[in-house]
Amino acid sequence: MILTVKNLSVTYGTKKAVDNISFSIKRGEVIGILGANGAGKSSTIAAVLGIEKSNYEELTMIGKSPILHRKEVFQEVGVQFQETNFQDKLTVRDACEQWESLYKQTADVPFLLQTFGLVGKETQLVKSLSGGERQRLAVLLALISNPKLVFLDELTTGLDTRARRMLWKQLLAMKEKGLAIVLTSHYMDEVEALCNEILILKEGKTVFHGTIQKAISASEKATLEDAYLHFTGEEEWV
Amino acid sequence: MGMSTFLTFLKIEGKLVWKGIDILIFGICFPIILATLFGYVLSNDEVAGASNFDLSYAAVITIGVLATGVMGVPLTIADYRHQGILKRFQVTPVSPFQILFAQGLIQLSSALVSFIGVTLVYYLLFNYELKGSWAIFLMTYTLVIIAMYSIGIFIGSLVPDQKSANIWSSVAYFTMLLFSGATIPYETMPRFFQYIMDILPLSHGIHLLKQASTGESLTDGLFHIVILALCIVIGLCGAIKFFKWK
Repeated sequence: MILTVKNLSVTYGTKKAVDNISFSIKRGEVIGILGANGAGKSSTIAAVLGIEKSNYEELTMIGKSPILHRKEVFQEVGVQFQETNFQDKLTVRDACEQWESLYKQTADVPFLLQTFGLVGKETQLVKSLSGGERQRLAVLLALISNPKLVFLDELTTGLDTRARRMLWKQLLAMKEKGLAIVLTSHYMDEVEALCNEILILKEGKTVFHGTIQKAISASEKATLEDAYLHFTGEEEWV
Repeated sequence: MGMSTFLTFLKIEGKLVWKGIDILIFGICFPIILATLFGYVLSNDEVAGASNFDLSYAAVITIGVLATGVMGVPLTIADYRHQGILKRFQVTPVSPFQILFAQGLIQLSSALVSFIGVTLVYYLLFNYELKGSWAIFLMTYTLVIIAMYSIGIFIGSLVPDQKSANIWSSVAYFTMLLFSGATIPYETMPRFFQYIMDILPLSHGIHLLKQASTGESLTDGLFHIVILALCIVIGLCGAIKFFKWK
């Protein structure tokens, strides 16, 4: 297992933001964490990364605890946050160089810039990039260390169709080579294109965990989108 | 993270800080202007006498250290925390110590520029001459710098948000700027105020620097050194132990 999470809970005051969640993934697998805004997706990721305080029975990445062995774990785990902020005066090249300097071994950066459509932008300030470009840069930085596991929080929000397809293609190629991915997304086409397994959250609780086919058959719906709405109890609204 | 990777990291942090105007104004220009003013007033003040002017050099060279170490360092760290940049660093192999150390070194580079500027002003404009040994003086100055930066790093590591970073660094900066002898000479303060000034770590640093600059033997030297050493130990250990990523 590349990642094992067993009975993880996050509590804010008296409110349980994440309630007893368990999942695990192997090399080359992709799990999608789905749910409405506020369902606990980002809190789950933050807790798994050790940023948010949590209670758990087991939490290991690459065989180690991300909290006790932070440095070793994040040598091999990449992260793209939902909102990525950069220093005001940072250029694209600086951002890449800075992130490269943090790791023992790194990917071929010119190649990544090419794949993520950022060639020719190296001397631009990160702040001056478009939303989609900044998003692609954030994903690029998450992959710069050639990680074994990567967390992508809403990876294509704000991207146009072509950019999304490009990103999927790249991620699928890396998945073939053994990259494990944990992602959150609001787009069911993206989930179907990338994920082996999904975890649907509602108010911090797991309402479905399994493959996409299982989600569709268990809900007796025709599409993943309908199945998703069924499990989150949102179908009566549409 | 090896040495060469740390240098890359340092280079980029340096570029970012030096591209900003803050460090130029507060880290370099302001300390030099202030030092020039004080030097001018004291070197012309018949009542204060030549000895007060001689002593003032040891005091005004700490202004740049205060501005960068006690203001610049905590404000930059708090800004990185506020913007979520430290949160991104949290999920990389970098240690808080490396971030703090890099930021400290960058700010220090401007403190050193202002030190050279103030020294040139004193030597060229006011014909100042250091009576003590330069080696001992610079060693003492280094100790004072490390102590002040430890205080700044401590504040930057612990403050939860930018507002409290502003408050705490301003409190530390202005009290030490005004009441430790950095600007208003300790010797001219009433005895009662001197007792209060003795609480501030920089007062001890300036005492040491004054003694080193005049070539006097360091009276109570050990006591002042212990106070500064305590600032370093408590500041750095506290910073590493209680460092907040977000």
